[in-house]
Amino acid sequence: MKIAMIGWEYPPFKAGGLGTHCYGLTRSLADRDVSVDFYMPKTKHNANSDKNNLVIKEVGETEIFPYDRPEDREIPGQFFESVYRYNDLIAEKVKGNYDLIHCHDWLTMKAGVALKEKMGVPLVISVHSTEYDRSGWLYPNDWFINIEKEGMEKADRIIAVSHFTKRVIVDKYGINPDKISVVHNAVYPLGEGEKQNIVLFLGRLTIQKGPEFFLKAAKKVLEHGENTRFVVAGMGDMFPSLIDKAVDMGISNNVIFTGLLTEEEVEHIYRIASVYVMPSVSEPFGITALEAISAGTPTIVSKTAGVAEAFKNCLRVDFWDTDEMANKIISLLRYDPLHKTLAREGKREIDLFTWERVADKTIDVYNGVI
Amino acid sequence: MYFEVHQPMRLNHFSVFNIGADHASQSNYFNQKLNHEIFKKVAKKCYLPTNNLLLNLINEFDGKFRLSFSITGTFVEYCEQFMPSVIDSFKELFATGAVDLIEETYFHSLSSLYDNLDEFEEQVKMHRQMIKRIFNYEPRVFRNTEAIYDNRIAKKVGDMGYKGIITEGTEKVLHWRSPNYVYMPVNANIKVLLRNYSLSDDIGFRFSSRNWPGFPLTADKYAGWISQADGDLVNLFMDYETFGEHQWTETGIFDFLNHLPREVLRHEYLDFVTVSEAVDRYQTVGEIDVPWAISWADEDRDVSTWLGNDMQVACFNELKNIGRKLKEVGNDDLINTWRRLQTSDHLYYVSTKGFEDGNVHAYFSHYDSPYDGFINYMNVLQDLKEKAI
Repeated sequence: MKIAMIGWEYPPFKAGGLGTHCYGLTRSLADRDVSVDFYMPKTKHNANSDKNNLVIKEVGETEIFPYDRPEDREIPGQFFESVYRYNDLIAEKVKGNYDLIHCHDWLTMKAGVALKEKMGVPLVISVHSTEYDRSGWLYPNDWFINIEKEGMEKADRIIAVSHFTKRVIVDKYGINPDKISVVHNAVYPLGEGEKQNIVLFLGRLTIQKGPEFFLKAAKKVLEHGENTRFVVAGMGDMFPSLIDKAVDMGISNNVIFTGLLTEEEVEHIYRIASVYVMPSVSEPFGITALEAISAGTPTIVSKTAGVAEAFKNCLRVDFWDTDEMANKIISLLRYDPLHKTLAREGKREIDLFTWERVADKTIDVYNGVI
Repeated sequence: MYFEVHQPMRLNHFSVFNIGADHASQSNYFNQKLNHEIFKKVAKKCYLPTNNLLLNLINEFDGKFRLSFSITGTFVEYCEQFMPSVIDSFKELFATGAVDLIEETYFHSLSSLYDNLDEFEEQVKMHRQMIKRIFNYEPRVFRNTEAIYDNRIAKKVGDMGYKGIITEGTEKVLHWRSPNYVYMPVNANIKVLLRNYSLSDDIGFRFSSRNWPGFPLTADKYAGWISQADGDLVNLFMDYETFGEHQWTETGIFDFLNHLPREVLRHEYLDFVTVSEAVDRYQTVGEIDVPWAISWADEDRDVSTWLGNDMQVACFNELKNIGRKLKEVGNDDLINTWRRLQTSDHLYYVSTKGFEDGNVHAYFSHYDSPYDGFINYMNVLQDLKEKAI
């Protein structure tokens, strides 16, 4: 089987779970004798592969990132144009004999549809997030929704990262549930480190990820007299306002904003954190939760996150319920048996979330369309 | 046949912010609204209809259909508080003379596992007074919480004057021997009735399971299995909520129960006895030696259901420490609250046991996960501890 996969990011460059997923998936597919040509934009870092049947093809440049919003960029007029230009470029550069085209999220859907029509092969799309998720369900932008809808309609098969996302695809995009398969994400386990008195948020600082709820919970924990540090790791449009907020709340002495971290720094902070909190407003899956748990860090996730439906040994809260979030953070800091049991059982369960399993399920989907 | 009748006092959501707060009185620990709702639901689905059916069957077979109940103190408190008609219907059943009552700890607690057995003895006495008050009767046979049993417990219960004690007929204790005989402990003078778990669980767990070869289970098929069993007697012990609650009406569980006495009595060598009659009628055939506690719970048939992980052990130890403090202070209100918190269900909700058992646990728990169960229970215990000082 030979497939053309069109992605957006690939380690060492990545901005979110999409890159992590593509890395794990393509490597495990290659190990299962599926030949993969992975197309992506050129970046400053050279992505490459050490596997014979996995080739990374960088196809020209673009300034758009998959998590960009037109209103945030300095190139508002050119945003849409850049996206079209990139999709045209892809559609032109992808050549060869492929059994199918597999693309990820909105940014490459237009190219996917064009290639399906040009080459006459089936199209599989993976949905890692929808416009509704990225906008935090506040002001979803129709322009993205239309691209997503067209891609979903024309795809022969859709892979959703959770049942939560499958429901969004059915309810909001009107797609037949029978053509959607759910494949939960996986993780390469990180291994445990020496724990410090740190409660961690790690993710893009956008409305979708709910960092302000993390700060509110932090304030409650600190007011209750716990002496702990709260680390907000990551970058995003809310960065300056969150710093102001921490100052206004009078907790800036105990809150550390790290900005963007390197891969090594991310792994390190997962390892030394005592608690990881993922208070996302909307989270199709949430690979970061699996990464934290694989580092032996007990994790509190938003109830609606995809990972909450798939993973048992974590704590769940409503993202807006910062009282309960604080209750769980304090309990984890205070009750050692709780911390130990969650860390141990979590790591045990993590072993089930392998990229081999993701590849197997993805191959099942491929076999259904070719 | 013997049925366990119990409802726990489930807890309110109680966060770390409630610990030591002025408004946090002990009455806030228990979620009376949820407890009331569940009690009403189970009374309607199980207690009232099953009691009614049993009463009809006892009358129809002129006392030849005989059975036993073990009723916890917390259950009786619910009856008196929410639905006195339920306790009336148990009284009516008892008045037939075909029903025996079994002793246990008032609070369905794990006090038999404490370092000394004074608290256990007190809770058994409380149960004895409760049964005396309501039924004017003194039970002669004892069953510990979830059939937890070891040599020490058997000795204590024997010393307290009971003629019989009930536990699980597990191979761990019996090895090659059959549960269908009466045994005695190596160290005490009391008769031991052993639950035939295979035949009991055919009703309790497997009755409605479609991928079980025995499905569908009819009364005549089941009576046939009993008649083929070896030994003197078959002890069928199960949760009373099996009828109408764990196995819904739609599964045909009531039809099954309705036909069971007739089908059993059709066999010439079968009859029904209460647990008291069983210990009077049968002689012991051998000894059992149980140095480590067994129970009827989960696949493991030990106490790991309640004390299987660090969180459970931490709560259990905290519970014991608080008890020591409270008894020094001697505050009766707080001691009563402490006892309600000893009900084994609170620890059951904190179990993290494997997938198969975990499913059963999740079915009975009102918490999102064992971790939530731990946080809530531990927070309540911390509050009680502050009050105890």
